[in-house]
Amino acid sequence: MDNKPSLSQYFGNTDVPPASQFFDEIGTSPSDMIQSVYLGESEGNKVTSNQVFPQTMTASFNQHSGPQELTFSSVLPTVSGSASVPATSLPDPSTFFDTIGPEPQIGAPKSNLVNPAIITEAMDGLSIKNQPVDKEADRRRDAWIPNDEAKKTLMKAQSSPKGSFFPEREVLTMPGLVLEEELADALHEVAVKYLGVSSAGSRGVVRAEHVSRDEAGLRELLRTGYLRAALNLTAVLITAVGQGVGRMHRPTKHTPRSLQLWLTRFAVMLRIKLHEPLLKEAEQFGDFNKPDMFYQFYPDTYENRTGSLVPFSLRLLIAELPGHVGKSEEAVDRLYSMLDVIQQMLSNLRAGKTEDGTATLSSDQDRNESIRLWTGRETRVLHSIVNCSIALKDYRQAGKILLSLQQQATSSVQRRALSSALCRLWLLAGHIKAAQVFMEQAREIRHHICPTPDVREYVDLGLIDIAHGRYQEAYTNFARAADQEPTNIMVANNLSVCLLYMGRLKEAIAVLQKAINSDPERGLNESLLINLCTLYELESSKTNEKKLNLLNMLCKYKSDTIPNVLECLKLS
Amino acid sequence: MDAKEVVEHLVALKVMRLTKPALISPKIVTCDSKDLPGNILNNYLKDDATSVTQMETLAAGQFLLLPQSFGNIYLGETFSCYVCVHNETNQPVQSVSIKADLQTNSQRIPLTTQSQSPTMLDVDETLSDVIHHEVKDLGTHILVCEVTYMSNYNTLASFRKFFKFEVMKPLDVKTKFYNAESDDVYLEAQVQNITSGAITLEQVSLESSQQFTVKSLNELDNGQSVFGDVTLLQPQESCQYLYCLTPKENISKDIKLLAAAKNIGKLDIVWRSNLGEKGRLQTSQLQRMTPDYGDIRVTYENLPSKVSVDEPFTFKCNVVNASEKTLNLILKLRSLPDSSLLWCGISNRKIGPLEPGKSVSINLTALPINTGLHSITGVSLMDLFIKRTFDYDDLASVYVN
Repeated sequence: MDNKPSLSQYFGNTDVPPASQFFDEIGTSPSDMIQSVYLGESEGNKVTSNQVFPQTMTASFNQHSGPQELTFSSVLPTVSGSASVPATSLPDPSTFFDTIGPEPQIGAPKSNLVNPAIITEAMDGLSIKNQPVDKEADRRRDAWIPNDEAKKTLMKAQSSPKGSFFPEREVLTMPGLVLEEELADALHEVAVKYLGVSSAGSRGVVRAEHVSRDEAGLRELLRTGYLRAALNLTAVLITAVGQGVGRMHRPTKHTPRSLQLWLTRFAVMLRIKLHEPLLKEAEQFGDFNKPDMFYQFYPDTYENRTGSLVPFSLRLLIAELPGHVGKSEEAVDRLYSMLDVIQQMLSNLRAGKTEDGTATLSSDQDRNESIRLWTGRETRVLHSIVNCSIALKDYRQAGKILLSLQQQATSSVQRRALSSALCRLWLLAGHIKAAQVFMEQAREIRHHICPTPDVREYVDLGLIDIAHGRYQEAYTNFARAADQEPTNIMVANNLSVCLLYMGRLKEAIAVLQKAINSDPERGLNESLLINLCTLYELESSKTNEKKLNLLNMLCKYKSDTIPNVLECLKLS
Repeated sequence: MDAKEVVEHLVALKVMRLTKPALISPKIVTCDSKDLPGNILNNYLKDDATSVTQMETLAAGQFLLLPQSFGNIYLGETFSCYVCVHNETNQPVQSVSIKADLQTNSQRIPLTTQSQSPTMLDVDETLSDVIHHEVKDLGTHILVCEVTYMSNYNTLASFRKFFKFEVMKPLDVKTKFYNAESDDVYLEAQVQNITSGAITLEQVSLESSQQFTVKSLNELDNGQSVFGDVTLLQPQESCQYLYCLTPKENISKDIKLLAAAKNIGKLDIVWRSNLGEKGRLQTSQLQRMTPDYGDIRVTYENLPSKVSVDEPFTFKCNVVNASEKTLNLILKLRSLPDSSLLWCGISNRKIGPLEPGKSVSINLTALPINTGLHSITGVSLMDLFIKRTFDYDDLASVYVN
């Protein structure tokens, strides 16, 4: 097992979702699962040979960062002229691995690629064949329809003789890093300030320095929750592809890899709420409709490949972005224009054409697979629109979309989940009657799934009681939920909130403390901490010791994932 | 700073307003599993205690978050707060009690607390109470909390804390009245949300006064609201309700009482906002302007809206003596030269004597000779005492086809 990825170990890991889970629907086709195995392999290697890799990684990284800088600082990307880039760092369009995976220098992946037996084994009952080159999957995943303006430029790029296409500056996307300083581990900083250097420990620092400075290292930091260290690493890697600090407004070369780096960076920034620099860095990308965001812009490199270099998740993240800074209306506009393109693609697919409507699909399986993927993505966008509508308190709009999603839902599990969501939506709006109607509906559908009420149903019932101001009844319902899942953090939290409204502060505190102690990993949740510290502050004016106790636990069980530790713990 | 001025108390008092908790959701950031971060971010989301299984990407969570600010409070809502006294020392404190009052612009309201009798607080123990009060005044309110306890010198010590808040107006109600010929009164009530958030109108009803019976015109025959499923009002939005009020029989029979029936009733409005936070307001007695009936009031009854040409039709003419004296009247029916209706029957008929408040009903018959929409003209009454004639030309129209 030494250098081979331990698959059982991998699949036992929480990184892989059970096939039945929701996340399959938002874009994971079974064949994608294979890809995630690829991704995992380098990580698997990392675990076993942690000492060997970092050195090699840093070295190889330094090697090619130089020439790239030279190439792009002065020259317009004449696309075909990109031969001056070392061949090894060019993405090879034929394999998925290079498009987002670690640099070829990593070595191992190629040999693992031709070892489908392991993967097939891993997929067990899923019985999916390994397809190292899946052009259909690439097309499906990357599909996007350029707008009319971009189409014109793309036509030109495609029809110009090799080496003679020189795009205007206006059609180019020219991003660059804005956030210059390196971020320190926020939890560690707070811990040092309040607990002293010795108690704070130095695990995080060690971790950040010991991962390889490449995608595998990045994933390792993400998985272990060192988000700020991961963000720093994205800056290093993005600088290496020539889009670092000061590169804004300068022509640059985009690759699927560079955009994956940006996706990772933006996703992390969003999680730790670095909205200001995120907005600035994202601004240069606009809505990803510039022609250089499409494969057709680079006919010499990607030949006939179509679609966008921009991962769907990045496109979605940027569309949602205004919603995170209080401009949900703008986000709704952007999301609807995404939805428009997706629906256009779906109607092309239903007419038997490819997503962008330029070719005919050869197989039904391909078509069904595509429809499945894009319907899932459509749902994901609709969810985002609902979320923005909720933020805008436009419950009517949110309700309308949820109802239409419910009508399209294929399984009773989904329909039930949507009824339950509608119930809570109307509770938010204060429309208890409607909430009750959807509660009943959810109960009705639940009968097809399980005969007796489950946690979700009891919690929804409890929430309706809270809306009515019947805290005793709410408590009873939450307690029933707790009987079924004694370790459920959300249920414990709701019980605690209920106890406070019943005038039982001490018990409320005890319930939350117990929840944290029984499952610190999940229990040390941002919102739960806010609740607990609110209770501490209500109880007594001497709360510092208790809060520092929580900080100690955070240091022990969590890494750098909470955006604002001070705010959560209400430490001043 | 003369910090020593402040007396260190053995117990601490904390107060928290209990508005409804919020339902929160995690920060939703997802990736496709073959993106660079793989499923790592998706798993963050799934493992988050605030996310809902199978609906992770939807921000309609089940996780309750305690209120993090005082928030706004509106007239008609219930002010709830948690009052907590904590023993801050390392020995028991004797005879601890809390008293809470609410001082408004006009009055001081004692807020009942469960434990009136002083109790002993052991180390780290708390004495707490949840207070509820429906706010019925606008403007500045001050919550005054007083804590009394036995000090170390065996004397009673006490301290007070003040919490000031402003009660605002939640709704703006505008009303319009229409007095119909039939004595019915139509009320238009425009309810506007002037809070800072969205609200759902749970109930809007008109409680009529003694003189009227009310019919709500805001529902379809099947009981459904004309506003659809949701009467959700965003800030500044308004909703218009319509009611028909019919004077009770004893009132409508007596023109004096009818003219005096100014009180219409009260509007009762119940709304809810975030997670069911409830508010309830009742307007003061709504008053209409009663129409001026003059000395003689003439109304038509049983008048068909549509009649056929060349076929006589009959209707009732009601004459009410709205004056203080007995009237002797003569009813004149004249078919005017350009009129399309010809009167059938006796003109110059004597009516009376008609005592004050009494009415008489006369059957009239007319023959339409032209098609179209025609006013009923040519009816006049002559008061024999003052020798004056009153014309009633435009009381009603009839459509002839």
